[in-house]
Amino acid sequence: MKAVKGKYYFGGVHPRAMKEISNAAALEVLPAPQVVAISTSQSLGNPALPVVEAGQTVRAGDVIAKADGLISSDVFASISGTVKEIKEIKGASGADEKYIFIESDGKNETNFMPPLSDPSAEEIKARIKDAGIVGLGGAGFPAAVKVSPKTAVDTLILNGAECEPYLTCDHRLMLEKAEEIAKGARLIAKALGVSKILIGIESNKPDCVKEFEKFDDIQPVVLKKKYPMGGEKQLIYAVTGKKVGIGKLPADVGVIVHNVATCYAVYEAVELGKPLIERVLTVSGKAVKEPKNLWVKVGTSVKDIIDFCGGEAVTPKKVVSGGPMTGTALGSYDEYTHKTTSGILLMTEKEASADEPTPCINCGKCADVCPMHLMPMNTAFYAAAGDFDAAAKYGQTAACIECGACEYICPARRPLIQAIRKTKATIRNKNREEK
Amino acid sequence: MDNTVVVSTPPHVKSKRTTRGIMIDVAIALLPSAVMGCVFFGWQALLIILMSVFACVATEFVYFFIANKGFSNKCADAGKVCARWLKQFDFTSVVTGLILALIIPVTAKWYNVFYQVIIGGIFAIAIVKMLFGGTGKNLVNPAAAGRVFMFLSFALTAYTAPNIGALDLTSGVFTGPTNLSWLLSADGNPVTKVSVLDLFLGTGVAGCIGETCKAAILLGYVYLAARQVIKWWQPLLFIAVFGFTAVFMSGFAYLATGGYIFNMELFLPHVLSGGVLFGAVFMFTDYSTSPKGVYGQIFYYVAGAVLVAVLRYFTKIEVASFVIMLMNLFVPLIDKYFIRKPFGYKKEGK
Repeated sequence: MKAVKGKYYFGGVHPRAMKEISNAAALEVLPAPQVVAISTSQSLGNPALPVVEAGQTVRAGDVIAKADGLISSDVFASISGTVKEIKEIKGASGADEKYIFIESDGKNETNFMPPLSDPSAEEIKARIKDAGIVGLGGAGFPAAVKVSPKTAVDTLILNGAECEPYLTCDHRLMLEKAEEIAKGARLIAKALGVSKILIGIESNKPDCVKEFEKFDDIQPVVLKKKYPMGGEKQLIYAVTGKKVGIGKLPADVGVIVHNVATCYAVYEAVELGKPLIERVLTVSGKAVKEPKNLWVKVGTSVKDIIDFCGGEAVTPKKVVSGGPMTGTALGSYDEYTHKTTSGILLMTEKEASADEPTPCINCGKCADVCPMHLMPMNTAFYAAAGDFDAAAKYGQTAACIECGACEYICPARRPLIQAIRKTKATIRNKNREEK
Repeated sequence: MDNTVVVSTPPHVKSKRTTRGIMIDVAIALLPSAVMGCVFFGWQALLIILMSVFACVATEFVYFFIANKGFSNKCADAGKVCARWLKQFDFTSVVTGLILALIIPVTAKWYNVFYQVIIGGIFAIAIVKMLFGGTGKNLVNPAAAGRVFMFLSFALTAYTAPNIGALDLTSGVFTGPTNLSWLLSADGNPVTKVSVLDLFLGTGVAGCIGETCKAAILLGYVYLAARQVIKWWQPLLFIAVFGFTAVFMSGFAYLATGGYIFNMELFLPHVLSGGVLFGAVFMFTDYSTSPKGVYGQIFYYVAGAVLVAVLRYFTKIEVASFVIMLMNLFVPLIDKYFIRKPFGYKKEGK
């Protein structure tokens, strides 16, 4: 279908895209590493419960940890070999995570589920759950929950905005695997019982728009280049003009959003029987020798990935897992990829800002760029004074999506996201105590 | 990787804009007015500008030096304190000094203004800004407060006409009424004795150093708006509301001689007289002392414009600095009551 233009929303920032570093690099497969360490915290919600013991042999695709509760996902061995140990390590986010270490036997044996031909809606839903698929855009919301909404939906939106600077893995995936993404999208649409499929793509990827114009049942929507265009609520508004209320889910306005990489994973799970054991990620930044877009097994160490990309070109100032706007800064290369890791960035001092904060000058730029139309400076002001109730009230913190646009634009380099997270955590703890 | 790697919360990229960059932009935007002030009023104006900037920066430095214990231990840490001052120096005091100099006139006794501006600068920085916590913490615009302080202390109202294209002047120094005082004259009809073009260019008009040449102010406005230091609509909203209110108010002046007349021809003379244009572009838009949300800002500019127009009519003097101070004090209240509705917000019960 012919592409149409998306709607404009107020707010947002225009960071330097830096996509030219890696957007020409075709997808490559990273050879299976010697050791993987697979975290049991792969999605929002509870960590999965390990079902393997040290010394046990596993094949790629074997369940090694079972979902605990509704919002959680199964975790699979990504290589074949022996389980060496299960231990808790402090992850990059600062929380303790349980990691299952598997040493490769070099055989690359697999144990996938049987492929489904012409599956019913129920079969697709069950397969998405069994394959442990989570939202690959970054938040890691279990996809199985999203395909069983409580209210009726009529539209499926594919998120191909990839508004984060540097990241190009979705771009390459859309370019090289458009057919498979479309198939995955049709499967999700069938599971949801919707007929309308739209794909939102930022205007800086015209080649991807062209790829998706080939399909008769998918409507490409060209979005203005802006961060955070790929934020769920912003994307829904830009593509359909519907506003998702505060504390409401997209399903409440009849829309479900899935990332293009998630669609690809659904395609693989249904048609190949392959659970979510690898994903695409971008290795980029000016401090890495050969920027690449890679297929990486879940649990691969950052060191293996960097070594495959030729190592450091210069000593990086910051190493980021994920995108530069929302990703986590890593303190060492001894970290392991998750299902949600969309990039590894080695940034030089010139790229990554590490300026000291200066006093707030009340310019209000943070409010001007907030895509949720909040007032982050109020949160920062009251949070610094320790009045978290006022911080939440005057900053409207509850609606914050933590996109980082406010802190990006702040001329005084105030740590706004930190204040917002602190406020959110304090309010959450307080509410829990009151219950 | 070595241990120089930085770990922090996202975002890991930041815009190139810093406080210092923005303040340098404001200083650049003020330059045309300053240059035209020197052209019109000569080297006395240049001296006053330099003195004012020097007084403001020096006051900030001395305050910082004392507050950071530069004098303790027989000045042992003086070097360190100076280095820290240089590191945090963000040009706000330069901007304050520039604005303060540009909103005072060169009078016949310019050497009096010379020491007065130093006292005004010290007051603006030490009392109004630094005592309240420095950059971003001041409640009122330091330059406006400094100007009001000088006005009340030294009765600094006598204006000199510029050197170029003097009006009906017999001597080089003119200390009579400005176009504004004719406009506001209570006895008889509001008249404008200067052509709009003269008002716009500032030729032959008495006034303050930087407020006289409106063309230079507009140049500064275009620069600030293009650099997105200020929002382009803010001064325009102020000027529009102010102009209409002023015309509406001056209609009452005709009551003595006849009926009420709504004379739109007075719109431009009102806007181009006095310091309103300068205040709208450079002083109302001051970040620290204006509301942060868009709706709060709209209220702030509209209320400020109406207040200036009404008070000008009744007091018969230029009140822009007073109104700026007054509105500044309302800003915390405005910020408290004008909270934006988040994206997707719906009223309860709908």
